[in-house]
Amino acid sequence: MISTNFLAYRLATALIVLFGVSVLTFGLIYLTPGDPAETVLIQQTDQQPSQEAVDAFRAEHGLNDPIPLQYVDWVAGVFQGDIGQSYYSDRPVSEMIVQHAPATVELAVAAMVVALLIAIPTGVLSAIHRGERLDVACQLGALVGVSMPNFWLGYLLIIVFSLHLGLFPVSGSGGLENLVLPAVALGTGMAAIVTRLVRTAMLEELDRAYVDAVRSKGLGERIVIYKHALRNALIPVVTVVGLQFGFVLNGAVVIEIVFQRPGLGTLLVDAIFARDYPVVQGVVLVTAVAFVLTNLLVDLSYRYLDPRIRLGGVSA
Amino acid sequence: MTGSDERWVDEAHSRRAVLAGTIGAGLTIGAGCLTSSTDSSENATPISIALEADPTADSWDTYGYVTPYFTSVVEPLVWASESMEPNPWLATDWEAIDETTWEFTLREDVRFHNGETMTAEDVVWSFERLFERGDFVYGWLHLTPENVVAVDDHTVEFETTDPFAAFPGTIAHNMVCVQHPESTDDELGTIGTGPLQVDSVDRGTAVETTPFDDYWGDPIEESLTFEVVDDPMTRALSLESSDVDVIFNPPRGEIESMRDDSDLTVLSQQSPRTLFVPCNLYRAPTDDRTLRRALNYAVSQSELVDTVLEGVDGPARGPISPAVGWGAHDELPSYDRDRDRARQLVDDSAYDGEELLFAVDSDIVNGELIAESVAGAFSTIGVETELRVIDGASYGDFVQEGNAHLGLRTSGSNSAAADYIMFENFHSEGIRNVQLYDAEGTGLYNPGETVDELIETAYQSRDETVTDEAYRAAQVHIMDEAVCIPISYLSYTVATRAGVDGIDLHPIDKMVDWSDITRGGR
Repeated sequence: MISTNFLAYRLATALIVLFGVSVLTFGLIYLTPGDPAETVLIQQTDQQPSQEAVDAFRAEHGLNDPIPLQYVDWVAGVFQGDIGQSYYSDRPVSEMIVQHAPATVELAVAAMVVALLIAIPTGVLSAIHRGERLDVACQLGALVGVSMPNFWLGYLLIIVFSLHLGLFPVSGSGGLENLVLPAVALGTGMAAIVTRLVRTAMLEELDRAYVDAVRSKGLGERIVIYKHALRNALIPVVTVVGLQFGFVLNGAVVIEIVFQRPGLGTLLVDAIFARDYPVVQGVVLVTAVAFVLTNLLVDLSYRYLDPRIRLGGVSA
Repeated sequence: MTGSDERWVDEAHSRRAVLAGTIGAGLTIGAGCLTSSTDSSENATPISIALEADPTADSWDTYGYVTPYFTSVVEPLVWASESMEPNPWLATDWEAIDETTWEFTLREDVRFHNGETMTAEDVVWSFERLFERGDFVYGWLHLTPENVVAVDDHTVEFETTDPFAAFPGTIAHNMVCVQHPESTDDELGTIGTGPLQVDSVDRGTAVETTPFDDYWGDPIEESLTFEVVDDPMTRALSLESSDVDVIFNPPRGEIESMRDDSDLTVLSQQSPRTLFVPCNLYRAPTDDRTLRRALNYAVSQSELVDTVLEGVDGPARGPISPAVGWGAHDELPSYDRDRDRARQLVDDSAYDGEELLFAVDSDIVNGELIAESVAGAFSTIGVETELRVIDGASYGDFVQEGNAHLGLRTSGSNSAAADYIMFENFHSEGIRNVQLYDAEGTGLYNPGETVDELIETAYQSRDETVTDEAYRAAQVHIMDEAVCIPISYLSYTVATRAGVDGIDLHPIDKMVDWSDITRGGR
């Protein structure tokens, strides 16, 4: 059971984190040079706007108000469920996020699945063949995976699987065939990190006394490894996979551009370059909420993975 | 076998089944992809065109989430001719009644995609809708909503807020188009008059269009799909893998190999856009004309075009592209590279060895590379620079505060009124200069009264000859003062699969004519 105090504490810290994120994002955006009025108008009309047009845009969107006032207005809106309207399109930011989020969530989940499918067997193999050629090969593979820029891997996958083999479309979204290459490109980097972690955790577990105990009971080696050692080794892996959510979102920005997926990454990058402040604020806020919630869920999942772990002072 | 061993075996079997299922599904997907690839090669599929920007972006909601650029779904009253002059389109004629009043006569045989005939009231409604996009439209078009009036079924009167001779050219812009009053902000909500009508919109991905049978002009026979592929390398790979038939602006570094590929065709077209290095006329030492002339003599535009610009653009001699009717390329003073003369001029100038701050707009394709080459040329005559690449959205603010000695930027027009290129860059009240001009009586790239007067004369005159002569004289003066170091007249590139023909490129890329486009067997 998880104590109410623990949940209240975690939610309070989450709110403080979100407040900090919003202040930081707002502050950084406004410290960044660049006039949204001019930038948005150039993008819309594809030509330099007149000073009159720029002045009118600034007045219309409250850009001449003091920055603290703009922030207070925005926060007040957030508490009323309104995270603003895009300067560029005048559409509610929430609508835009709802429209773009599925492509990113789909990619993030698929990338995580790819990463785990690669990392867990590889990490286990590497651990049980410690010091052997297979271990060296797995570690080398992990090193290559973690060193490879994911955009470069993306292009490589396109050239091999789309251009030469014709198995998958180069870009786009919507079907499973559009998801395979981006998921592999994004998941590989994470797989490399998780592989090394699984290996280390497995080595630690395999050296523990209980492993000798279950072996001495005559259980088969596969059961010892997969049912006993791996289960315990997965606890730190869950933590890292949870924390890797941020990495996945970060990588999704690049992968979405390479594979032309209309997700949150593309939305955020376009908004930053267009100085579409409400969209930047909204996407960062939603991403931060997702990140904080993921970490909370990871913490809560410990209790179920290992009943010995105590959350908020309540014993298992 | 123990009980747990039995469970293990069962689980293993189950896992094998899952694995087998996964492999089977993978093969099915692979086969499906292959099948789909075969199907897409049939000629019945629309011709697909990959654009750099999302044709369904949220900003195009008033056009049914279909960009007014490129797609030929909606049309303006006035089009831009090949020489960037206003050209009759949905309006057959226009006349200046007085200094601020314009009367436009509409074409009579124009039908909307819903079958109804276009009238003056539809034009008034369309302008009112454009004003709803934001207050910026007032300053852009020099109009207010109440000053667009239907005189009769086929005549519309516009009264500009001030004398604005460039009005017809300014509205020769894709965004200033005519829609039916039943058009809505929903997807598929636009009802235009163009040769293509919208068949479907896949937000963030593509727009499918089909030919409009009752089109008043040259029809387009083929169905066209406009997709977004914003990464240049992915666009090129999409073309090479036949995922798309046409792409805009492949990576410069790929153009040469594309030209050598018999499966591909590469077209390019000079645009009304110029790449140049503007000099801050009011900050030492670039306030010294002698030094600016030296910098001009240090650079070989031809060499830059042949190397870092991959031979795509044309070497520039002035700030206005020859694609603009009054571009004065042939009349401008020539600064052919002459390093000895340049070094002598540096010696004669006020330059005493300090580093010049050279700001580079990051939005320029290969901008940093170009700037490094230019800086290298300056270095050969003893002038050192510090390069600073600045995000495109911040570039304007940075240079307008007078922080940089030199910049690297592009300037061009997207309508038949290229006048604002001159005004924004070189008039004291242009957007580049006005901040410092108002605050300190200086500016950035505005050489002063003579050029201001020439630009105003050209801007206000309704006599084409007077306008052309004034703009040309202003350009000569600007280059005589060495206000900038011109680099290249920019071109854009379109690459197609070998069987795709009939694309008629326009100086404004967003006005490409698709009337004759066809696709042979792939």
